[in-house]
Amino acid sequence: MTHLSMDALVSLREAGQEPGDAAAREHLESCEHCREELERLHQRAARLKALPALRSARDRWPEVRARVMAERRHRRNRMAGLVGLAAAASIALAVAIGPAPGPVETSNADEIQQAMDRSQALESALHGYDPESRVLDGRTASIAQELEDRIATVDRELEVADLMEQQAREAQVLRLWRERVGLLDALMDVHVTRASNAGL
Amino acid sequence: MDSYLLADADRVVARARAGDPDALEQLYRAFEAPVYNLARRICRTTEDAEDVLQETFFEVCRSIGRYREEGSLWGWVRTIAASKALMRLRRNKYRETEELHDEVTGRQREDTALRMDLEAALERLSETSRAVVWLHDVEGYTHEEIAAMMGKTPSFSKSQLARAHVRLRRWLGEEVVV
Repeated sequence: MTHLSMDALVSLREAGQEPGDAAAREHLESCEHCREELERLHQRAARLKALPALRSARDRWPEVRARVMAERRHRRNRMAGLVGLAAAASIALAVAIGPAPGPVETSNADEIQQAMDRSQALESALHGYDPESRVLDGRTASIAQELEDRIATVDRELEVADLMEQQAREAQVLRLWRERVGLLDALMDVHVTRASNAGL
Repeated sequence: MDSYLLADADRVVARARAGDPDALEQLYRAFEAPVYNLARRICRTTEDAEDVLQETFFEVCRSIGRYREEGSLWGWVRTIAASKALMRLRRNKYRETEELHDEVTGRQREDTALRMDLEAALERLSETSRAVVWLHDVEGYTHEEIAAMMGKTPSFSKSQLARAHVRLRRWLGEEVVV
């Protein structure tokens, strides 16, 4: 008599039906050897579960905490640095456009400048609000973090846009600064709305 | 499981999401032991397991805001730990184990007569086989879940499990000659 393979026995322990399981079950009914083999398999799994828990000899929390705190400091610094980035970008744009821009460039440049001013104003307000020092509920913290991640993505794209040709760069820069303003608006809303809801 | 490991888990999670360091430490203290045990059962060395423990909790602290409470908290932490441990295995692949070496040298024939205890036999499995055995038989992951974490197919997970049990059976002296 051919007995069941370990693949078949292992498969019989699963909740779903595999191809061949019906035949394997039929075989099992008439084969004591395979029934015992399946029982030993169950027992081995039970003994594995009953193995004593292994414990770490070292407390790793101080390292974890230090890394978490370092990352928070980094994020706070990044938020503060965003204000500087807007100012730097403003100067860079003025230099790139030069003293005698054409009509299309002037229009874009004005709009970019407006978006940058708005972005800077929002960041200053946000910085003054100091969200890092405030306690957030989980949902608000999650939304705020998502918005901050998206702002960071826009900032990276702005750096890349600097390398583009002037006309394409301005269109792209304008789009990105507008997106940045929208995200900062949303982030400000998240913090201020939460504060007013919580009566802070 | 959550309430067994961590009393008042919902409140602790809410405080952890708000960035309260004491709540983050409570999460660490509650899940440190099962995370380390899982990591140590999968990884070859205590150093690797301790690194996995640290990386797991760094990720937990960073991502607690994204925990959706759809499953248990321990289930969420455990999946992070399992992924970190498997990532560590992939990184250390060059060390993949004595089991293959045994086959080449024919040492496995001696094992037929050599009864090992379960700890020793588990330790002797290849890292991949041991990970599959532990995740499936002890932690209760399905082959589909294990395959997704390992970047392999469910068939791979099934065949690793069957192969591991053939070896465990032999090394534990449970082989019955028909």
